[in-house]
Amino acid sequence: MASLLEIELAKLKLAIIKIGILSENQINEAMKSLLSDPNTKEKKIKKNENKIDKLDVKIDEICQNVFALQQPVATDLRFVMSAIQISNEFERIGDLAINVIKNSKSVKEKHDLVIKFNIETITKNIQTITEKTNECFELQSEKMIGEIFVLNKTIRLECEKGINEIVKEMKINPKAVTSGINLIFVLKHLERIGEHCTNIAEFVYFVINAKMIKHEKTKIG
Amino acid sequence: MKDIKIEVNDLSLYYGEKQALKEISMQIQRNKVTALIGPSGCGKSTFLRSINRMNDLIPSVKITGEMLVEGVNIYDKDVDVVNIRKKIGMVFQKSNPFPKSIYENVAYGPKINGIKDKTQLDEIVETSLRQAAIWEEVKDRLGDSAMGLSGGQQQRLCIARTLAVSPDIVLMDEPASALDPISTSKIEELVHQLKEQYTIIIVTHNMQQAARTSDYTAFFYLGELIEMDKTKTIFTKPSKKQTEDYITGRFG
Repeated sequence: MASLLEIELAKLKLAIIKIGILSENQINEAMKSLLSDPNTKEKKIKKNENKIDKLDVKIDEICQNVFALQQPVATDLRFVMSAIQISNEFERIGDLAINVIKNSKSVKEKHDLVIKFNIETITKNIQTITEKTNECFELQSEKMIGEIFVLNKTIRLECEKGINEIVKEMKINPKAVTSGINLIFVLKHLERIGEHCTNIAEFVYFVINAKMIKHEKTKIG
Repeated sequence: MKDIKIEVNDLSLYYGEKQALKEISMQIQRNKVTALIGPSGCGKSTFLRSINRMNDLIPSVKITGEMLVEGVNIYDKDVDVVNIRKKIGMVFQKSNPFPKSIYENVAYGPKINGIKDKTQLDEIVETSLRQAAIWEEVKDRLGDSAMGLSGGQQQRLCIARTLAVSPDIVLMDEPASALDPISTSKIEELVHQLKEQYTIIIVTHNMQQAARTSDYTAFFYLGELIEMDKTKTIFTKPSKKQTEDYITGRFG
């Protein structure tokens, strides 16, 4: 028979998986919007955002109850500590997805620019990293942590490159400034999404290995 | 450098044919609190009692190995058992005051150790009761029977009685298990204060109590010492799976 603590921890894990899937859905919608899909499902996105916010609060409540009533130690303690942080990271990913949608609306001739600045590749990597992050948490997979770190580095470099090229374009063509600025914002949001995924992977590493690797310059993988 | 008060080397204890402690080796630090944890029957109380030779009182007990206190093996033939128990005091799970006055309970030990001077005895009684954090509650009724005190007060009186004979080491066998949360909290605070002067070894079934009060924790299972480390390490990152399973409640 499962102990009360095990039941609470299972509930917590499920809630985080749910918030992770909702954030991933928001990312997928944002990437569609960015890749010139005119049919952004605003209502669905808004609904998802509310769900994410509610789950974030619910997760905090579960963690508070576990701390107060079950006094977790060792792996359980690390899991609950990380759950609070991971939930917050997923909530931020959801918010950034919405920012991507907002900024991409102000980009004119999106289709051409997406091709020109290689944004499609970045969106694919963003979708992969968020999907991997969810799997990594669900399976508590150490192997995937390394993959997430590598992918994040790639995204960061791609975003930096894209931003530099957009700046160059804006210097030559002043008409491209409005779209260019909004695209730069989009790339900054995408870069941040990669960072939040990496943070989640770091917390999973902490749960597995009892070692904090955040702020460490050389990470595994 | 570690300041070792007690060093245990390959200590085994048998109740007749049954081996209750299996080659225990550990070092206990001076002026630190060491908690002994483990499931019922794991040998932690037996181990605690072997530190002041309380097990000698059980006829079928056989002990091998060494228990060095300040470098002296207390199981050597020429060691005076009474002197050991004077230097290594013990507080039990159930408070057991003598059916005498509060004053007499504390003065009893010093008296049988030969202290007769009233002023000196008064001083010992007051100091011991203050150290046990009960002086303010009983100072105006030292002549009253100890049996009239609450459970928590009786337990602190027993601690004062233990301290009155100036021990070096205080052994506590689940000292707060029968107490309410406020009395428990007082005993835990007391343990924290007392370690400045004494080396304390405490047996507890309460994981949070071990985590709150001790500097080091030793986990026993089936008569073996499975793991001993800093309490912070045991409760955050134990190195043995059996320890993790026990402290997280997934044992067996």
